[in-house]
Amino acid sequence: MPAELVEVEGHIIDSLILAKVLDLIVAAGADYHMVDVRIGRTNTDPSKVRLEVRADDEADLVALLEELQVHGANLVGELDAVFEVCTDDGVLPAGFYATTNLPTWVRLGGHWYPVENPEMDCALVVTTNRAPVVRTVPMHRVIAGERVVTGREGVRVDTPERPQGATPFEFMASEVSSEKPKSLLVAEVARRLRANRERGRRLLVVCGPAVIHTGAGPDLARLVRSGWVDVVFAGNGFAAHDLEADVLGTSLGVSVDAGTPTEGGHSNHLRVINEIRRWGSIEAAVGGGYVTGGVMYECVQRGVPFVLGGSVRDDGPLPDVRTDVVAAVDEMRQHVAGVGVALMLASTLHAVATGNILPANVETYCVDINQAVVTKLADRGSRQALGIVTDVGLFVRDLAARLDPS
Amino acid sequence: MSAENTWGRRYLMCPPTHFEVLYEINPWMHREVPVDPDRAREQWEALVALVRQAGAEVELLGPQPHLPDLVFTANAGVVNGRQFVPARFRGPERRGETPHAVAWFAERGWRVDELPEGVAHEGAGDSLPFADVLVSGYRWRSDARSHAPLSALTGAPVRSIELTDHRFYHLDLTFCPLDDRHAITVPAVWDRYGRAVVDDLVPEPLVLELDEASQFVANSIVVGRNVVMPACPPRVGRVLATWGFEVAVADVGEFLKAGGGCRCLTLALDVDLSGVPAHS
Repeated sequence: MPAELVEVEGHIIDSLILAKVLDLIVAAGADYHMVDVRIGRTNTDPSKVRLEVRADDEADLVALLEELQVHGANLVGELDAVFEVCTDDGVLPAGFYATTNLPTWVRLGGHWYPVENPEMDCALVVTTNRAPVVRTVPMHRVIAGERVVTGREGVRVDTPERPQGATPFEFMASEVSSEKPKSLLVAEVARRLRANRERGRRLLVVCGPAVIHTGAGPDLARLVRSGWVDVVFAGNGFAAHDLEADVLGTSLGVSVDAGTPTEGGHSNHLRVINEIRRWGSIEAAVGGGYVTGGVMYECVQRGVPFVLGGSVRDDGPLPDVRTDVVAAVDEMRQHVAGVGVALMLASTLHAVATGNILPANVETYCVDINQAVVTKLADRGSRQALGIVTDVGLFVRDLAARLDPS
Repeated sequence: MSAENTWGRRYLMCPPTHFEVLYEINPWMHREVPVDPDRAREQWEALVALVRQAGAEVELLGPQPHLPDLVFTANAGVVNGRQFVPARFRGPERRGETPHAVAWFAERGWRVDELPEGVAHEGAGDSLPFADVLVSGYRWRSDARSHAPLSALTGAPVRSIELTDHRFYHLDLTFCPLDDRHAITVPAVWDRYGRAVVDDLVPEPLVLELDEASQFVANSIVVGRNVVMPACPPRVGRVLATWGFEVAVADVGEFLKAGGGCRCLTLALDVDLSGVPAHS
């Protein structure tokens, strides 16, 4: 959203000038944010208010600013962003602007340009073809010669306001909901997923192994099969246990149906991983008939992309696992465009990694039995995450029943 | 009980020697409607006599060729005790008046404090004191932006009123402080915020209808309990009489051709915005 800073000064409270300026902004269908308010204390003390005025497009904004100027609201001179050229691949200029995951705007030549792919902890790289393009680039991906925004001048971040009042989030006003009726929460998430799909946005599911341990595998597989899931991020563990459950009927050696440990079951997943390695890939194992069901199976069948990121304690790992974690995150980045909702299902590390690369406007639901996971995500900057503290197995079953009642 | 205005007993006026309609900078001005210079002179002299009769002193600003609107001294600037804040005229037509006004005040020992460049403000025509505030109009001739520096220079709180009707391009066509409780007002040509502000400020307004306002009824000179008006419709006269005011009507028809009435032809020299009565 294009925005400009304006300042109104004088006896603007008693003269109702401030009220008038604010009313004019709202009446024009624009929005404002009070950046600084200094109210005079005595009758003769002037007041001073700094407003950030935002409008849908630049022409509307210019027209509104002209009108505001009549009422004494002056444009505060903003400066263009400053940039420096990278001298080495993978090394940013010392004063680089470190991004947030919020919608960000950069001012160049007097115009504000939106950052194409907001992502936290990156740098802003400016390229100019016909018009300037600003995108976030992680540190290791910058190339010598690229122009990187430095300092805070000419960079603006839209501060998200948690929706208030009669919004879909109203009942989830608190960030983590351990004491809320779960079926209401699930119903609301289902409604949001439907709305997301109607808007043509994609659903990303990040899965931890507990999804399989708790018996939610078949329900999640059903959601993939019925087309609800557009992309899956997980680790070696989730995929291995999903495949183990399909091939041997156990998850970490425990019977998925009976809940009883099976003899020698502790090595079940190793044997399945080993066989998949023999096949060469999950896709090949599915194609060859070794794997006949489960989440990974449905992903392959439906062509739903998945990224499996590796870690140092992985068994095997599965041949599909990206063991270069930097490359894994880069691959994940390629799949987040167009994602409107992210479901983090009983996953800590992959949820945090995903949270790191998602723009703040992606609705994120973090489902975990452990409240600390949700808190962790929020603490790392994914403020948009709404936590649902519950058993993931029950959650996914309920969600699948609502989205795909067949 | 209401108390008389603390100001309005000393005025600056300028003889209409060079007065005519040379240009059109408000909807009342039409160059094809010529001013009768003799009638203008007679009307102006009669006005001076009425103001003196009402109990005020009149001082004179020398007329200047090619500055026909110098007669409208109300727009010369804002007087505050011994401080004079000269106008910054919106259009180039009247900007030549300012050096003459500044010279007059400076020669007589006033301190001249200027508004910043780039803002327009047309003096007492757009700023009139009521109670302890300066009610100030904006849009056509003065900028809302001028109000903060005006307040900073004079130390007086300013209440900004947007003038919404081009015919009433200066505040003094729509607002006339009568005493500390009463004022003549034309809220119909203010924005609703301005209306709310004056509603709050003036305990008992005499609200003019548009047809009354169009006769420049609000553009009147108040000297204590005497009001010198360009016109006085019977209803307005009755209300003013009830409030204890004595009305004298001055025919200023020649000046109305330029969009100015009695108040426009005078600038009160005894306004003191610090709240200390200047004439006592």
